[in-house]
Amino acid sequence: MKAKLIASTLAAGLFCTPLSAAELTVITAGDKNMVDYVNEYLGPLFEKENPGTKVRVVGTGPGDAGSQKILERFEAQSKAGVAKWDADVAVVHEKFVGPMVEQKFLEAYRSKIPTGSLVTRENAKVALGTNVDGYVMPMFNSQTALAYNPALVPNPPRSYDEIVEFAKKNPKQFGYNGIKGGASGVSFVMGWIYAYGGGDPQKLMNGPFDPDEAKNWDKAFASLKEFTRNATLTPGNAGTLDMLSRGEIAIGPVWVDMFYSWKANGQLPPEMKLVLPSPGMPGQPMHYVVPAKSANKELAEKFVALATSPKVQAEGIVKRFNWYPGIDAQHVQASLDKETWEKLFTDISPEELAKYGKPFPIAPYNNAILEAYERQVGN
Amino acid sequence: MSAKSETEVTHGWGSKKLPQPDTAGAFRAKHAGGLAEGGCRFAMPVHLLGFLLVAPALAIVVLLFVVPLISSITGAFEVGGTVSLGNFTKAFELYSGDMLFTLAIVLLSSALIGLFSIMIGGYLTLGSNPRAVAILRWIYRWPLFIPFIVVGQILRTFLAKNGLMNNIFIELGLMTPLSAMSFLDWRGIVIAFVWKQTPFVALLLSGAMASIDRSTIEAARNLGANRLRILIEIVLPQVRTTLLVGLILSFVTMMSVLSVPLMINAQSPTMITANMAFRINAYRDYGVANALGLISLLMTSAVAWVYLRQTMREHSR
Repeated sequence: MKAKLIASTLAAGLFCTPLSAAELTVITAGDKNMVDYVNEYLGPLFEKENPGTKVRVVGTGPGDAGSQKILERFEAQSKAGVAKWDADVAVVHEKFVGPMVEQKFLEAYRSKIPTGSLVTRENAKVALGTNVDGYVMPMFNSQTALAYNPALVPNPPRSYDEIVEFAKKNPKQFGYNGIKGGASGVSFVMGWIYAYGGGDPQKLMNGPFDPDEAKNWDKAFASLKEFTRNATLTPGNAGTLDMLSRGEIAIGPVWVDMFYSWKANGQLPPEMKLVLPSPGMPGQPMHYVVPAKSANKELAEKFVALATSPKVQAEGIVKRFNWYPGIDAQHVQASLDKETWEKLFTDISPEELAKYGKPFPIAPYNNAILEAYERQVGN
Repeated sequence: MSAKSETEVTHGWGSKKLPQPDTAGAFRAKHAGGLAEGGCRFAMPVHLLGFLLVAPALAIVVLLFVVPLISSITGAFEVGGTVSLGNFTKAFELYSGDMLFTLAIVLLSSALIGLFSIMIGGYLTLGSNPRAVAILRWIYRWPLFIPFIVVGQILRTFLAKNGLMNNIFIELGLMTPLSAMSFLDWRGIVIAFVWKQTPFVALLLSGAMASIDRSTIEAARNLGANRLRILIEIVLPQVRTTLLVGLILSFVTMMSVLSVPLMINAQSPTMITANMAFRINAYRDYGVANALGLISLLMTSAVAWVYLRQTMREHSR
């Protein structure tokens, strides 16, 4: 009933919107940097290479909520039987690609574009337990890590045990954004369960899903509740960085790319550093997907092909926005000078990244952990 | 159920009013009395016209308010297509702390709003320095014109650990940077609510105070009562109802504000509104969101009941 109402409203809106053939609509989840990336870099580049086209970008907000909005938009248009959907390219979190593929909202386009063969990483084939091979192109890979202020924390904690120790000795100096304000806090919580969940983290990352597994987490969540009492809750991904820069906290989990971008913009003091604690924290790719009912499929494929070309991945993703590349590293490394490439690994070496950079748990565990957090830590 | 039987009753009355000499009509007319029957002959078309006039407004209320309300109430009891209390169990498991938090915040804010608006209204009515009264009258209404989201935004930068307020204290030497702390938790929400809602209640209250019979105040003054005593013993009892109504309206308003808790303290514990938004935005979990909505509806209906009882009593006076 409600969905139908939303769907028909959306549909009505669609018929009223004049869509010129050469307008490409990109809808993206994530923080403001995602919108900036298309507006400031990728959009103008595509418009220059394809004269007469106009790239329009819509941001739907950070965290799961942003991707959830995109999923709902597709669902509404699908249920309303709209022939041409209002987005041509979408950028979504890993967790939402699975449901989109299962509900047949997406076009299998990877084999059609020339850059499709440049991706061999596992997370471009399986997204949190669902086979999405062919439907996605990773825009970038990102990683969470702890950002810290060396002036306040000369010896940063290098493991979750040391983090707990640190928070005990320095109450309110560790800050994270809970699970409602973006994925860096979510990632810290997932890492906590990998470390203290009592089970095998590999099972959480690869499945199969077993609802009884949740019983093992009670102790981990009890200790996380205790830990959170000694910590500061920040308002979001940006909030953690913000409080760090104002000296209100000394250390906290952040997205590596946002950290470097803020540093480059001068929003974060240059002394700040990163550390990736053992046994590891999750990272995730953001994926480019093309809706099955896109009005400009060919143009959309062209857009993703450009976005995942080695040149753009080097110049835009790595150099300008400090993400780890989406396509395989060797293709990108070749188009970059050594210095820029190594800047990506200033604080976290490729070895550490390989060892401690984990995927998120598969979707059902992911949801179960988040809900258990609300039940046992939040309440 | 009750709504249905009510429509049937009205229907029955309508048929009675038809001026056809059927036996049932005559029987009912006898019971209703000759006066009613006489009135009916003329009133019928007027009733119909009246109904037609009201119909568009009524349809809008039903379509845009009653139907969504009912669907959200039934939605609260629906889990996977079957009727169940699952959403409520989950809502309590996940957010019982936040429910108490919400209630405590809103009650505390209401109490503070009451206190401050009595102080403002009292000074406007009884103040002896005309210049101070004029300045206060000019200034106190400002927050009325500021939207909640802007209040949240202002207070966010003002109350942060290294925000404007603490910086001023530190500059003045009243505080050291180390002892500075953030007010962006329950205190921030209470400050935002009180700051925004006090003028509203004070406006109602000072209006009511201005319209009470001045001679009661003069009499008390002649008998030697000081101003505080006049305020508490003479003025307040006469404006009690207005104060209550103002506070109830503020209570309901505060229960529905999402922007302030989101801006100031979206972490736990937070207010129910922020949790509802999170359930819908992150999980599309309308069931638990509806259950939370119904719980906050119960809280507001409790105070609405007080309000209705008060207005009924006034009407019967």
